[in-house]
Amino acid sequence: MRLEEKFKKLKQEKKKAFISYVPFGFPEINMTGDICLTLQEAGVDAIELGIPFSDPLADGPIIQKATNWALDKGANVDLFFEEFSKFNKKLKIPIVIMSYYNPILQFGLKNFFKQMKSLDISAIIIVDLPLEESQPYIKEARKWNIDNISFITPTTSRLRVKKIIKYARGFIYYVSVTGITGPRDLSYSQLSKHIKNIKQNTEVPICVGFGIHNSNQVYRINKFSDGVIVGSEIVRFIENNYCEKNFLNKLKTHTKNIISR
Amino acid sequence: MKIPNDKGYYGEFGGKFIPETLSACLEELEIAYAKAKKNKNFVNDVNFYLKEYAGRPTLLYSAKNLSKVLGLNIYLKREDLLHTGAHKINNALGQVFLAKFMGKKRIIAETGAGQHGVAVATVSSLLGFKCDIYMGAEDVKRQSMNVFRMKILGANVIPVVTGAKTLKDACNEAFRDWVTNVRDSYYLLGSVVGPHPYPMMVRDFQAVIGKESRTQILKKEKKLPDYLVACVGGGSNAMGLFHFFFNDTRVKFIGVEAAGFGLNSLNSASLSIGKPGVFQGANSYILQDKYGQIKNAHSIAPGLDYPGVGPEHSFYKKIKRAQYVSVNDKQAVAGFNLLSKTEGIIPALESAHAIGYLKELAKKQKNSLVVVCLSGRGDKDLDIVRNYNGIKL
Repeated sequence: MRLEEKFKKLKQEKKKAFISYVPFGFPEINMTGDICLTLQEAGVDAIELGIPFSDPLADGPIIQKATNWALDKGANVDLFFEEFSKFNKKLKIPIVIMSYYNPILQFGLKNFFKQMKSLDISAIIIVDLPLEESQPYIKEARKWNIDNISFITPTTSRLRVKKIIKYARGFIYYVSVTGITGPRDLSYSQLSKHIKNIKQNTEVPICVGFGIHNSNQVYRINKFSDGVIVGSEIVRFIENNYCEKNFLNKLKTHTKNIISR
Repeated sequence: MKIPNDKGYYGEFGGKFIPETLSACLEELEIAYAKAKKNKNFVNDVNFYLKEYAGRPTLLYSAKNLSKVLGLNIYLKREDLLHTGAHKINNALGQVFLAKFMGKKRIIAETGAGQHGVAVATVSSLLGFKCDIYMGAEDVKRQSMNVFRMKILGANVIPVVTGAKTLKDACNEAFRDWVTNVRDSYYLLGSVVGPHPYPMMVRDFQAVIGKESRTQILKKEKKLPDYLVACVGGGSNAMGLFHFFFNDTRVKFIGVEAAGFGLNSLNSASLSIGKPGVFQGANSYILQDKYGQIKNAHSIAPGLDYPGVGPEHSFYKKIKRAQYVSVNDKQAVAGFNLLSKTEGIIPALESAHAIGYLKELAKKQKNSLVVVCLSGRGDKDLDIVRNYNGIKL
């Protein structure tokens, strides 16, 4: 399913999107499939699947640790596509790839998008590719009808916001704080103001990520956003519980508790 | 041709590959730097402190004994004689005045060998900035004297325990700090690496090395050198030496990378055996596996222990303006011993790579006139060399 369709459906149902992030290959290469399917059962609306990179500049300790772990388990782009093809038919929700630029660049942009297309993945987020460097990537993404998700942050100027939304597809990833990923307290009034400003200029849905780790935050943010992205909290839960009996059930319950609608 | 262009590109290399949060601060930095360069007070301050505080101009010393042993005519650009003992102070002074010009309150930096860290701690205490320095836990261990120096100078040294616990990981942490504290903090990057405008700014602040060398050699030898030789990790002392000679096409540039344990083993020779890719903000040569993951580097010289290199060096390689060679740990230590014994000058292990290469150069071109950048002094490396040589006191 494409993001556009998902957001349309959510709008009709008067619901907000709950998107969760998990890195591929964490805690084991062959657990990613079960984790994704469990998140789907728990009711998440889309999954951001991270392709691990050795030097994740924008990530905090929780995700750094998980991605290094996945790399130690042998995670790489080839293995990602191979593993994903084993469970993609069972996924009914949109999948978004999230990574840093170099692993994708070395695989080849065209090849990468071609593989995505063949596995029905229709959106991608690249953390270290700001607008200035994005032209070749956006051009290629359009050819394959793949949504390139753009970031807007509290430091993005109004002028820049206008430029960014011109190219935005799928949804806009609004970064809640200046900083890296990981649990934080958030200032809702600031956030709400920024997002209302952006909304005046675009129809593309806006989801808020970074720092969100509990259902209260989800509730508060959804009052002015089109959805939320929760990463570190789910990754932390996986790290602490994956050895337990009934791990997948526990993950499902925990995720449901954060979604809490 | 303007190098870099307005987007920070040196040919196909360079650029600004950073998370969106940093876009605004890089833009702010770029504008502030352009303004500062035209501001009389800023320029005067930097020049005054380079001269009166750091000790510029540095000597261009005719190393007669070394020349005789190797069969070359060697001049050493004595950056090791600067305050704090390395060329790093040139850039630290320039950028700390820029931080002041921009009204920032706090300085962040990364350091490998600790020479940049010491330079940043020094200028921060000079101008009264709060200063946090990220250093790989491995480097904290092997350069403990510099850690102590930074602490005495009032800086807060934060050991980094992620990755290989060396320079690359310290850079990552410094970037993460900057993303978090963009509004009041200034990231004082120490080499010609990272996103635009850093490679250009650091080059400009280090270009004084080549500018002085050119005048000095013309005065002493009445001609330009045949070769410029400098070690390359990120590449700031090399770019500083090369830049002013760019249009003197007869002067050949040689950058000496660290081959570490060997080119087939762990090393830091990004230009010699790496491939172009995007890492820490720029497109440049990097050590990476076939999946685009950054490899761990190794060099006996902590300041060269880095899997990337400045984009302008990648450009110089591409257009063949410079040649990049490599010298392994053993050859570097041989260079360290050679200079100490022949000239009574103990070089930093980084600079010892440049000295270590001269033997090879002598085989190619006897009696050439060579300017070598002696980028730092070796006091900090005595423990490493002692362990390496198994010397008991």
